[in-house]
Amino acid sequence: MTTRALLAVLQARLWAQRRIVFYSCAAAFVAGLVQPSGYAAPLFLCSLLGIACALAQSPGLHPHLDRAEQSAPLFGRELARAKALVPCLAAALAALIYGCAQLLRGAPGVPLTLLVAAAAVGAATLTALCATIRRGSTRALYVMLAASTSAVAYALAVAAHSLLAELAFCAMVAFFSLRQYGEALARYDPI
Amino acid sequence: MPLLRMRDATFAGGTTFVGPVSLELSQGEHAALHCSSAPEAAILALLATGIVKASNGCVLIDDYDPHVQSVHCKRIAGLVPHEPFLLDEGEFARYVAYRAALWGIELGRAQTHAALLRRRLTGMHESFAYPLIATLIGMPRLIVLDRPQPAYARLILGVVGRRGVLSTHTDAAAARAFCPNGPAQLPVTQA
Repeated sequence: MTTRALLAVLQARLWAQRRIVFYSCAAAFVAGLVQPSGYAAPLFLCSLLGIACALAQSPGLHPHLDRAEQSAPLFGRELARAKALVPCLAAALAALIYGCAQLLRGAPGVPLTLLVAAAAVGAATLTALCATIRRGSTRALYVMLAASTSAVAYALAVAAHSLLAELAFCAMVAFFSLRQYGEALARYDPI
Repeated sequence: MPLLRMRDATFAGGTTFVGPVSLELSQGEHAALHCSSAPEAAILALLATGIVKASNGCVLIDDYDPHVQSVHCKRIAGLVPHEPFLLDEGEFARYVAYRAALWGIELGRAQTHAALLRRRLTGMHESFAYPLIATLIGMPRLIVLDRPQPAYARLILGVVGRRGVLSTHTDAAAARAFCPNGPAQLPVTQA
């Protein structure tokens, strides 16, 4: 896939979902201003926003984009990577804005909070992406898996006091989720 | 060599069963399939463009098998969906740029081509013209029309030119409008 095609998917999808991205960023900013410092708020809130952005990639919400992507001469895995970037970028932006709001409040340890949150957000968002091309109970299962990914990441970072374990766990989940999404998208029949 | 070859092609998924369909279509030929229902027409159009893979039988697009060479198939066959595009002019210009990026076409060339096609399709409602223009800027050799409007048959066949054209219909009169030189309809056997 060319960089141009990748950027085109990113731009078209972010433009189509600009309202969701804007409201996510606004919610993150308000939460960053009013929340005390700590990992819970950025990790769970931004993961939730990431899951919402991922679910917004579901087929049918922007039919003209879906049709173009389905009929474009691209491999399923390439398209999966491009589509996965969209909610990840939106959620990362929300996390960054949360961090900016915390900096404005003068909260300590913002870079570390951002790192912990960004890792969990990426893993939860990519897991939730697998729900977008499924229906019924399987879809609900993937959303629950995404939510539990955030919970495990929080437990590793806060309860087990192991930042490295949290980062490793999130990297592993993100890798397998992206692979799974690519495989599913390659076999996906839009009927 | 035929552009499209379908041999007892069937699609089976859940409660949906379509086919078997057999046909051969070469460059410059037109064929119209009269289907018993709208979902059947949509699935046949998707099968003929390689977006949906045949469950049984064989579909070859310029001798490429969509099961293994879907990217090649999608370069050759272009699908014009039945659903009209509800986009304004600005959004359509963005959409042309998006498709040009996905198909790896120079932006200026795609925009000029789209403007030229829009002029040639004067008299056709833009909601129906936009999907056709969007497909044609990808320069496919085979055009598959999913339930096109019979009122615009002359205009559509005029801009399609010497390409192979397959259209699916749920109405016999519409099928005749799109297949003036050949058989009005090809038999579609419902299992």
